Amino acid sequence: MVYQDTSAKLFGVCLRILNDKSEAEDVLQDVYVTVWRKAAGFDPGRASPITWLVAITRNRAIDRLRASAVSRRMEPIEAADGVSDPAPAAVERVELAQQHQRLARCLEGLEARHSAAIRAAFLDGATYEELAQRMSVPLGTMKSWIRRGLLKLRACLEG
Amino acid sequence: MSANDTIGPADDGNLIAAEYVLGVLGVAERREVERRLAQEPALVAEVAFWEERLTGLTDAVAPVSPPQAAWSRIETAIGAASPPPSVWHSLAFWRSFAIASATLAAASIAALAYIGLVPGARTPLMATLSGSAGQPNFVASVTATGNTLVIVPAALLTNDPRAYELWLIPSGETRPRSLGLVQPGQPIRLEIPSDLAGRLTPDATLAVSLEPPGGSPTGLPTGPVIAAGKLTNL
Repeated sequence: MVYQDTSAKLFGVCLRILNDKSEAEDVLQDVYVTVWRKAAGFDPGRASPITWLVAITRNRAIDRLRASAVSRRMEPIEAADGVSDPAPAAVERVELAQQHQRLARCLEGLEARHSAAIRAAFLDGATYEELAQRMSVPLGTMKSWIRRGLLKLRACLEG
Repeated sequence: MSANDTIGPADDGNLIAAEYVLGVLGVAERREVERRLAQEPALVAEVAFWEERLTGLTDAVAPVSPPQAAWSRIETAIGAASPPPSVWHSLAFWRSFAIASATLAAASIAALAYIGLVPGARTPLMATLSGSAGQPNFVASVTATGNTLVIVPAALLTNDPRAYELWLIPSGETRPRSLGLVQPGQPIRLEIPSDLAGRLTPDATLAVSLEPPGGSPTGLPTGPVIAAGKLTNL
């Protein structure tokens, strides 16, 4: 059912960032209580529902990650480990799926290591420092990769 | 690192929203961005741009059903949550349709997010309770078993001192049955008495009337009906 899918998606996002089941459960609880109480803060003119839910979830999970002693994901990031084109989830509306395809195309247009760093940052909630360590490059290089990647990505997404 | 490899501070300002959404910032920087978000609409728009565009990346994350215990904890936390600081009461009149429909969407999400989490829930029923001018005032969702009903305000209601009472008119009947009092400014979860649970079916009508404090003294609506709608399958 659609909304059970939503909780599974959000729990998956929490788990990916926190890498810890009980922390992920805490964040999921926090997210749904927030949604419950702050529903009036949702602005459909600004975001689709799933974007709103994912944004709340990621922000809570990242804050929890920064605050906690949860062991960080430190495995190396392979630039070649390109995530294959994800099948659009059943809950997505058509235009959302199109937007996701566009994102995938724009990411493909980046240097492989730049897009790998951007994906890892978004999915793992990793800081610049962690990403630099995981890809074995100096911090300044990592910042530069990500910022260049973001500038190029924005031009592609807007174009 | 070569100078060529670095991006100057001038560019950083444009990217802080993207960096915030991406999640690469530390705690202090994140709080700084959030502080600025409270007063810089341009930054809000920039963050929204990146959130909308990058969310697709999460398609690569496998969904994981949360354990059933997670639901019980959420239910407890919602039950214990204090009423939200409310903007509803500060506004004297119905807002424009645009705001009402935005709030309707939000209310629907809250109602469904709640009901949808109930373990084993089958397709829930939903109703939009509209006023006489067609404006949506409340959204309700009901578990398939009919035991639990969630009702969320979908509009900014006047701060009427009267009580808001929710009624069920079962399909094919005319006599309203009280389901309890609801709040114009916050979502409410009601446990449905077992004798009525089976009658929350598609085509049953839900209605809200204004009643004296504490609810209707007669067991039937005594004041004006401000919202009504039929339950439908989602």
